[in-house]
Amino acid sequence: MNPLSQFPFGNRWKSTTASVLGMALLFVAVGMTMATLVALVDGADALALATASGITALIGAGLFHVATPGPQNITAIFSAVGTTWVTTSVLGALPYLLAGTFAVAGQSWVVVLADALFESVSGFSTSGSTVFGAHNPIEAQGAGILLYRHLTQWAGGMGIVVLVVMVLPSLRSSGLGLIDAEAPGMGVDRLAPRIKTIATRFWSLYLGFTVAVAASLFVAGMGPFDAVAHAFSTASTGGFSTKDASIGHWDSIAIEVVVVLAMIIGGASFALHNNALRQRKFGYFRDPEFRTYAAVLGAAVGLVVVFLVGDQMGVVRAFRSAVFNVVTFGTSSGFSNATGAGTAGDFALWAAGPQLVLLLLMVFGGCTGSTSGGVKVIRLRVGMAYAYRTLLSLRQPRALFTVRLGSTPISESMVERIAGFMVVYGLLVVGGTIVIAALGVDLVSAFGGVISALGNTGLTLGEAGPTASYADAYPTTARMVLAVLMLVGRLEIFPMLLMLVAPYRSFAGVARGIRTQLR
Amino acid sequence: MWSGKRSEFRRSVLWPSWAAAVVWAVSVALGAAGLLAIASGVVDLLGAGDHTVPLLVCGSATGLLASVLAVWVRSPERIQHLHVLSAVTGCLILFILLIAGFLGLTEPSMTLADALFQATAMATTTALDIGAIDTTGHGVRFLAGGAQWLGGIGALLMAVAILPFLGAGGEFADRSRRGGRRPMTPNPAAAVRNLCAVHGLATAVTLVGFLIVGVDPLDAVLLAMATASTGGLFSGSDLESAAVQWVAIAGMIIAGSSLVVLWRLGLGRSRSLLRSSELRAYLGLLVVAPAAFLLWTDGSGVDGIRRAVFTVTAAVTTTGFPMGPGGTWAPAAPVLLLVLASIGPMTGSTGGGFQILRHQLLARVAVRELLRQLHPRAIITARLGRRTAAEDTLTQVVVTQFLFVSVIFGTVGAMAITGFDLATALAAAVHAISTAGPIRSLDGSLVDVGSWPTSARLALIPAMVIGRLSVYPAIVALGAGAALIRQRLRLKRRAEVAVSRGSVNGLVDRGNP
Repeated sequence: MNPLSQFPFGNRWKSTTASVLGMALLFVAVGMTMATLVALVDGADALALATASGITALIGAGLFHVATPGPQNITAIFSAVGTTWVTTSVLGALPYLLAGTFAVAGQSWVVVLADALFESVSGFSTSGSTVFGAHNPIEAQGAGILLYRHLTQWAGGMGIVVLVVMVLPSLRSSGLGLIDAEAPGMGVDRLAPRIKTIATRFWSLYLGFTVAVAASLFVAGMGPFDAVAHAFSTASTGGFSTKDASIGHWDSIAIEVVVVLAMIIGGASFALHNNALRQRKFGYFRDPEFRTYAAVLGAAVGLVVVFLVGDQMGVVRAFRSAVFNVVTFGTSSGFSNATGAGTAGDFALWAAGPQLVLLLLMVFGGCTGSTSGGVKVIRLRVGMAYAYRTLLSLRQPRALFTVRLGSTPISESMVERIAGFMVVYGLLVVGGTIVIAALGVDLVSAFGGVISALGNTGLTLGEAGPTASYADAYPTTARMVLAVLMLVGRLEIFPMLLMLVAPYRSFAGVARGIRTQLR
Repeated sequence: MWSGKRSEFRRSVLWPSWAAAVVWAVSVALGAAGLLAIASGVVDLLGAGDHTVPLLVCGSATGLLASVLAVWVRSPERIQHLHVLSAVTGCLILFILLIAGFLGLTEPSMTLADALFQATAMATTTALDIGAIDTTGHGVRFLAGGAQWLGGIGALLMAVAILPFLGAGGEFADRSRRGGRRPMTPNPAAAVRNLCAVHGLATAVTLVGFLIVGVDPLDAVLLAMATASTGGLFSGSDLESAAVQWVAIAGMIIAGSSLVVLWRLGLGRSRSLLRSSELRAYLGLLVVAPAAFLLWTDGSGVDGIRRAVFTVTAAVTTTGFPMGPGGTWAPAAPVLLLVLASIGPMTGSTGGGFQILRHQLLARVAVRELLRQLHPRAIITARLGRRTAAEDTLTQVVVTQFLFVSVIFGTVGAMAITGFDLATALAAAVHAISTAGPIRSLDGSLVDVGSWPTSARLALIPAMVIGRLSVYPAIVALGAGAALIRQRLRLKRRAEVAVSRGSVNGLVDRGNP
């Protein structure tokens, strides 16, 4: 095949990447339009949002028009998912740039651009890290920009590519691969025979869950706008808030209970939710991953309560702070219930013991098939079983041991895949920490920042605590590195690293073609 | 007649694998500690110290006991791998306890916990000093140096003569006799012989270097032992001299090199050395890291370069000779030193850390995993230089990484409970498992471990022991110990149940309800 035929000289450009990206950008434009409508009511940033919406829609429509899904092999799938996420995050910064959200007096344009990109990446990757702070408060922003910010998290939670698969019938067999490459965890449960039905079912569940959270927050005492916005960021375990003090702004037990429950549900597998709804049975505890997830959260709460009570905090206050912070870290949400610096929920001032528990929870993350980040409970369980088996085989060299999850044996290829993932994750943590530290950040902030970015947690230990801004804790270049790590973490490392393979092969193919023709 | 009966008894008793392993471990630990104590006693006598008698008496007693055990023990036909690893772990622990005992005897003011911590730091070649050796005489100083040196030998035995013959990693050992070569480790016995010779020679060369630059003979011996073993515990002021620092740098680089590399150099096979990707990485690290360190510490001139090279080499080789910051350090400088200590030097050296070869294998696993994403059905091997890593080796390296990180977090947790902040706890845990030192605060200044509470120091001991034993064997031994205790408890419970059933049956038989 002549590689030049893949270029947009013919009828339509055969490119899965361009096709998926075009449709994804159209969805983002729809989100921007919704924010524009709110901004029109509010009266601020409407023009900026409308312009951003127009530009994004134009690029999306253009790509969608000229491209048609092409080769649907693994390389093309990784390339499509990786490129879609990077481009969406970059164009997602347009509303912030056009509205001058980060154009604070005395700030250079490079920093403004970097901040807009950081906030956009943090939104789409559901990290929840923010560069807003005392110098540029969230509460000073218009409703349109705030809603857009929360919508980016909502879109990123279930995945833009899953949304594209839902409406793009021409993707056919590669749909499952695309969902698989984008969804957090080790693979997608086939909830239905048809790929489109799987994607639709995921998004329907997600939408229903979001509506339920919004209604509950409203009933618990939040205003309608705040309830809807927080529902977006809670269902997606994102962690953005419309207030500078996050959930701590309300200082309400009812709201915290709703948010905690929603975060726990968001951190559990949506396949489990689907089964529970369809079978009308609470079968969560039959799933070994959910059991471990619940046990880890429970044990962490117990430990943190013991530490906090030991540090002279009242039992009730300690329990409230422990439950909220353990769940927000364990599900990689990133909300905070600190009512201000130095208050009970301000974990930055806690002793090292509870901080270590939170750090480990950032690594753990939630369940496979959820909206949460981190390594995922199932991987850690299988990883531990793998280590145990290796040690056991030294005691009994001739015995054959199988790694099991509950009563289900895990295939060797899956075990090796998980071990490989953990190795890559470990190398990224060490490498990222060195790079961030080299940019002038202290050890704990660098280490915590990298783990938080890779796990899409948002909150971190060190300088960028619950009441501080990333803009104050990390220099601009370090924030850019963290933004890259957020995308790498959201797509669980491999798609982001392998997205460069397809363009490389494409260019290599073109070069080969030209060389052949010249001969 | 009596000797005839004894030999008949020895021939008739078939020793089980675990019993032979236990007795060998006890015998080796007692023998090493005894010889060291006798040597320290002699040194103390020459220096007119106060500890001559206790050291000589204790050394002789332990030495005698070791001799009795060595004569008594009879090797079984086959010794299980598990028992070898457990014996090595037990041997190190017993050696530490004996050294702690000697320290307690010679320094009555030292608490038991302090003696235990200092002995662990010595035997595991971790440069964590609580300031207990400074004020003591020649005998105890020699005891400290000798314990480090023997700890280094122990690490070499584990890395060169035990692990490659027990399981994974053997493909990277120097065994080939092709082309008339003389391999370093053709079999375990030859490996032990050769590694003792090479390590002894390396120590002697370092010693000569120190003597040439004018170090006092005793201090030169102690410095050479601390350098060759990558122990780094030295209680003199000689290291402040520039010439001594340059010799120490050379000594540390030699100590951080694989013994196989030194063996080949000795045999004149140096041409093939640079084919070793591990050696290239080690040398690269020793060039690049000081440059980065210099950049982050504003060092300049020959003095600045020397300080940077000395500090970085001490970190990479996990020797840990202390040197405080000369000026203001960027936040990245202490992080760099911490990372370098955790990376460590070459495999098959006396250094600690995760070691370069394991990192290279991990990198290969990562690349293989990326390729597998693209070609799920392809069979992809992990190659390092001209050798292909066995699957067992890769598995073991991945599991070791998992255990390494787990031990670090476990130690951080223990340190956190004792009231330390996260940064100090993390630095202490990484240094302990890497058997490196000294611990630095966020601005690079040296942390005084002696001022820490006893509980915090005790929390570091398991990590130091596990780190010195290359993580994997210690965990295997611990697991075996736990399994043994579990089995004994189960048997005891069964016996109790059987007894209670028997008594109930007896009661029923006698017509009682």
